[in-house]
Amino acid sequence: MSNESLIIDLSSDLAPVQRRSMLREGALVLALGAVELALFLTMGVMRPDMHHMAGSPFLMWRVGSLGLLAVVASALAIRSFQPTARPRRGLMLACSLAVVAIVCGAFVTPEDVGERVLLDRIDPASGVLCAASIFVLSLPIVALLGALMRRAAPTQPRLSALASGIAAGACGAFVFAFCCPFNDPLYVVVWYSVGCTAVAGAARWRLPRRFRL
Amino acid sequence: MVAAQDGHGGAYHRLLGEMSEWLTRYFQRRLPPGEVDDAVQETLLAVHRRRHTYDPQYPLAPWLAAIAKNKWVDQLRSLGRRPLGELTDEMAVGDHEASVVSSSVLATLLDQLRPAQAQAILLVKVQGYSVEDASAQIGLSPSAVKMNIHRGLQRLTAIIEKAPDVE
Repeated sequence: MSNESLIIDLSSDLAPVQRRSMLREGALVLALGAVELALFLTMGVMRPDMHHMAGSPFLMWRVGSLGLLAVVASALAIRSFQPTARPRRGLMLACSLAVVAIVCGAFVTPEDVGERVLLDRIDPASGVLCAASIFVLSLPIVALLGALMRRAAPTQPRLSALASGIAAGACGAFVFAFCCPFNDPLYVVVWYSVGCTAVAGAARWRLPRRFRL
Repeated sequence: MVAAQDGHGGAYHRLLGEMSEWLTRYFQRRLPPGEVDDAVQETLLAVHRRRHTYDPQYPLAPWLAAIAKNKWVDQLRSLGRRPLGELTDEMAVGDHEASVVSSSVLATLLDQLRPAQAQAILLVKVQGYSVEDASAQIGLSPSAVKMNIHRGLQRLTAIIEKAPDVE
């Protein structure tokens, strides 16, 4: 087929298209996150001492840093779906934000830690369950960002997929933070990082395979 | 492109025609001659499938260039995966001497201009960018780009006239 006949084929019966809007896509991600959080909390899994914990620095740090990371990473992922976007610098920003959040965790006074040893504080049996819960809670956001990515035109799909994974992992961790009963920053840093990294890795591995520009 | 997004077939046909010419020049410099048409058509199909992603508040050229670059990389990967055929004595190739000499002469001539003039001529007259797109890339106003092209071409004419051995 010659270029000219392809052009004639493509331009005949041309249908109008709805332009992609990053604001609309951001609102979609936000809405899905809100619905997921609402559904999760209405299931009655919110920690019972939430009213007592509401103003504590620990909860502020946990929810605040995860929420901020989720918003920044989602915006970065949606922006990276543009063909002209260069997601590398934004990813560095998201990673720096995560590192800053982890460092801030060192200054948050742990509660009920007492004289426990490191292994007790990390509590691997519960930690694996927490990481798995974060993974499951992030799946709807991964699916939505994957669908948005397929509909858009990222020219660096691997980096876009990684950004989507970080965003979804942070969203899943944010939702899970409202029911997680552990009050130890070390536990949160270790197992939430494991959960988010697993989501980011899975998205980086899986999403580009389903994408073709 | 905005008209094409709104479903205007005539405008889209004209746009794809202009894109096809630009893409042909783009891929001719980057791919073997036999791969150029494939790459152009792949890029046109990608442009068609993703035309809703173009944001009218930004220039079109970088959007197209990003898609073309992606397709170029795809094409190079597929070239790398393809098994190489054995070259036989009967396989003749066309003579590329004229185009090689032309590009070499052009590069030598452009070296003798001011960098801003050479860049403006290269973008607009050789690579086919519009004056507006070139001005966005260079960071000068469109009238400054036009002035650079005008003065650069005058200077090139003077250089060529002084050099009797340049054909």
